[in-house]
Amino acid sequence: MNVAPRYLGRGSWLARRDPRVLILALAAYVLAAVQVWDLRLLTPMAVAALLYYRSAQIPWRAVRANWAYIAFFIGFIILVNTVLTGGELRGFKEADLHIYFRLPLLSTPISAEMVTYATVQLLRFGSMAAMGFPIAFAMAPGDIGPTFARLRVPYKFAYAIDLTFRFLPSLATDMQTTMDAQRIRGYEWDRVKGGPVGRLRKLGPLLVPVTINAIVGAEDTIDAMDLRGFGTGRRTWLRQLAYGRVDLLLLGAYVLLLLVITALSLTGHTRLWVPDVLIPRPG
Amino acid sequence: MWDVSSRTIVYAAIGAALYGVTAQFQIALPGTANVSLRPSFALVTFFGVAFGPIVGLFVGLVGNAIADQISGWGLLTSWNWSLANGLAGFIAGWWAMSMMQGQNKLVNAAVASAIGVVIGFLFVFTDIWLGTAENFGVAMSDNYIPVVVGDLIVAVILTPILVAAWEPIRESMGR
Repeated sequence: MNVAPRYLGRGSWLARRDPRVLILALAAYVLAAVQVWDLRLLTPMAVAALLYYRSAQIPWRAVRANWAYIAFFIGFIILVNTVLTGGELRGFKEADLHIYFRLPLLSTPISAEMVTYATVQLLRFGSMAAMGFPIAFAMAPGDIGPTFARLRVPYKFAYAIDLTFRFLPSLATDMQTTMDAQRIRGYEWDRVKGGPVGRLRKLGPLLVPVTINAIVGAEDTIDAMDLRGFGTGRRTWLRQLAYGRVDLLLLGAYVLLLLVITALSLTGHTRLWVPDVLIPRPG
Repeated sequence: MWDVSSRTIVYAAIGAALYGVTAQFQIALPGTANVSLRPSFALVTFFGVAFGPIVGLFVGLVGNAIADQISGWGLLTSWNWSLANGLAGFIAGWWAMSMMQGQNKLVNAAVASAIGVVIGFLFVFTDIWLGTAENFGVAMSDNYIPVVVGDLIVAVILTPILVAAWEPIRESMGR
């Protein structure tokens, strides 16, 4: 069980940026991408996201399982949206569709509009994931707390986020230890019988000790924080963050992207656009 | 209930980290296309009920974001789902601490969790605006109903179990 943050992009161009840039760039990109259905806009955005991802130098072998999960999830989103809507997407009615053929049994039309829609969703979520990866793999785990604090998140909340990442490895170890201990007693969660609800109820011997032990064990951390006067005054952070010129340029580019896309969206220029090449010719 | 002390912060962080660690456990419901039981969700409602709405909000919001990050989906890609999880924990905690004082704690935990799930996950309808769900029908049948059914089952069964284990320890610790 490997849930601890992995700093795979250490030393890369993106890892050398102020970590606030990684959070803000992602937020700007996500807010921009959700407004765009036009492939002519989304394609360059996705290319920019890919270049951004490449600059983090995250080894493919280390994250291919994550990408497989993303591919599955995007496929699922596309499938349910296209099948459940009967092919009527983004305001297109069936009479407006350029239909290739119909699915047997469901009779859902497979159309140029549906193919475009699927491509947009693929690019949108794929690029959003690419923008998100560097936060997981190219940001120093120790920078997480100061980053959120310097983004004006209340310092107690920022410290809680920092603490969450610090607890992850030890709690994962506790979980593994508990699983092993229960296995010795003959309890194996993945072999428990009794249907889904029965299996859920029988998860108690695993979930209860890990949770209660973690809460009881937290007393030491709470005492340590209280003894150091946590919460009695404004907290400062040892790690100082400062934007460099490149950081500001990168951030400015993403903010500009968000502003331009929002303006285009408000004026109706980001709607689903179907490339001519996908429209079937009569005869 | 609204005090943010070192205790609040540490419990919130532990809950969120536990959510991330246990997110690997999923139980598929036979006969359904996309409904699965996520036992980790019970931690959101449990921490809300046991330690208050602020802790519940944090465990749902940050825990779900971290679980998404660990899987590779990304910290903010489904930010509205993280917020929905947080709202469920917040409402469960608020309901348990303000509306159901003095009643049977296990029943209280189950009812507060159910209310938190049903109301908190209404936020996933924002998927219509974000384009993840094409229309209200898709958002209802593909997002809201599956998550509410799955999380209701989990929360109503596991939250009272966790509360039953925690209460005697809480009393012995004098909390």
